[in-house]
Amino acid sequence: MGLNNVLMVVLIFVTTYIIIISEKINRTSIALFGAVLLMIFNIMNQEEAINHIDFNTIGLLIGMMIIVNIMKRSGIFTYVAIRAAKMAKGDPWKIIVVFSIITALFSALLDNVTTILLVVPVTLVITDTLEMNPTPFLIPMVLFANIGGTATLIGDPPNIMIGSATGLGFTDFLFNLGPVVLVIFIATILILKHTGGNDFNTAEEKKKKIMAFDENLAIKDFVLLKKSLFVLAMTIIGFMLHQSLGYESATIALLGASLLLVISQIDPEEVLLEIEWPTIFFFVALFILVGGLQEVGVIDFLALKLLAVTNGNLFATTMFILWGSAIASAFLDNIPFVATMIPLIKSIAVIASLNVTPLWWALALGACLGGNGTLIGASANVIVGGMLEKHGYKLSFAKYMKSGFPIMLVSISISSVYLAVFYF
Amino acid sequence: MSRFVDAEIMQHTMKLQQMGAKVQVINSKLCYVNFDISGFKIQYVYNVNKKGNYFLERIKPYSLPIKECESEQDIIDIIEVDVEQFKSALKSHNIEGFINISRTLNMTLKKFEDLFLYYNIPGKEIDNIVEKLEAFEKEIDDLKMKSERLYFKKEPENL
Repeated sequence: MGLNNVLMVVLIFVTTYIIIISEKINRTSIALFGAVLLMIFNIMNQEEAINHIDFNTIGLLIGMMIIVNIMKRSGIFTYVAIRAAKMAKGDPWKIIVVFSIITALFSALLDNVTTILLVVPVTLVITDTLEMNPTPFLIPMVLFANIGGTATLIGDPPNIMIGSATGLGFTDFLFNLGPVVLVIFIATILILKHTGGNDFNTAEEKKKKIMAFDENLAIKDFVLLKKSLFVLAMTIIGFMLHQSLGYESATIALLGASLLLVISQIDPEEVLLEIEWPTIFFFVALFILVGGLQEVGVIDFLALKLLAVTNGNLFATTMFILWGSAIASAFLDNIPFVATMIPLIKSIAVIASLNVTPLWWALALGACLGGNGTLIGASANVIVGGMLEKHGYKLSFAKYMKSGFPIMLVSISISSVYLAVFYF
Repeated sequence: MSRFVDAEIMQHTMKLQQMGAKVQVINSKLCYVNFDISGFKIQYVYNVNKKGNYFLERIKPYSLPIKECESEQDIIDIIEVDVEQFKSALKSHNIEGFINISRTLNMTLKKFEDLFLYYNIPGKEIDNIVEKLEAFEKEIDDLKMKSERLYFKKEPENL
């Protein structure tokens, strides 16, 4: 591969990346344009480009999107949220705690953005009823969506990409990241309680209004609810067994999705219309763009440079990737970042003949938890900022960072200790 | 964008369900149709969905829910006739007066609804209003008999 090709790929990749960060052009549009340019300039032909697309990641994302889309039609998410608010007796701080647990659990099973879009509307109705500012309720939701998503293979797109690229399965993620996520969850609740958890007061009559909510009214279709819960349970069991059964995680997700489409008898056109196709095509384009870097040897070059910085020491490399990913993900979109880091870590494994397993956990923890650092760190954060603004509340970059950045630092510090103790 | 809309709908749905409503959300498209006939604006909005229901409403020159149609062709036919009738009516010197009366009637209907919903009106007064409305309707029928018909492509639906 000639120097001109290397320069061309780097130019296309960096320019695309800068435009994605600047948000001047839609990220999917520019990523697709950059990916097609690689083919136009003969860096790779169309077949080679397609070979770089990780269809396991794509299949897993689409499968889970279909399951969630059908499931939410039953009203289950609103039902659970109302039950939770009533369990908390309408008390604002208790609602935050219970909703944080729900958000983290949902987020471990669904992607973060989906979780936020299911939890935030209900939270806004609750805060409307309590006549309270929703901002202190929604910041914890964002934090716990990102924290909960870190625990499983399917919880956050970076984990899906890592799992797909490495063969690490659902239980690998759950057993390796679940314990540290639980500790981070508890630490975050304690920090939030300490930094303002006692400031929530509301009149008894407003609490009574919450208690008067009837969760049963939220269920639109009991039959669909039963079918959805059955398929979700089967899918989760499938994820737990997929390695021993010899199936890719996407196969399990697509089995669940297609089974639910069949038994729910919902018009597939209605369901497929709701799939986030821009996100899917963004992934497709990124895989091709990063594939371009691999083709011309840029990834191997970066891997060598990283090993030079850490002297080939696995512990130093792990910490470098953990903290580097966290800081980068706090300010950049973590999906393109992780897409670039995956082949880089694979190169490190080959070049330095290292067991890079800790590096994968460092990347997952850094990329997922780093998103909590700033308002632009993760899609879920940006969405909540936008929704709050639409409801007349401004969540500034600085205001979010005051809560999010210290929690991100604490999370990454806990992760550092966890990795140091259990993997070295 | 559609996910933001879904989140908004979820919020409204929850509030409406707690008020006792059954909420059905249907994917559909909203079409705005604008005509500019020598500066005279006619605007319609209609909703198209896969369930085969089409809701048409005129927005300008005055608001009027027109019809629930069974096919998109019905919508086109209704708009075609409506626009032709306005084009014809525009030739009349009384067009401004006609539009002002229609707007006033719309406003009167809203006022009457407020009266009904906010106040306890004695039955005798209701009878009085009915009497006046009947007189007004008769006035319209009389005017129809006395006036020259201008549009023949279809028969009036309400007169």
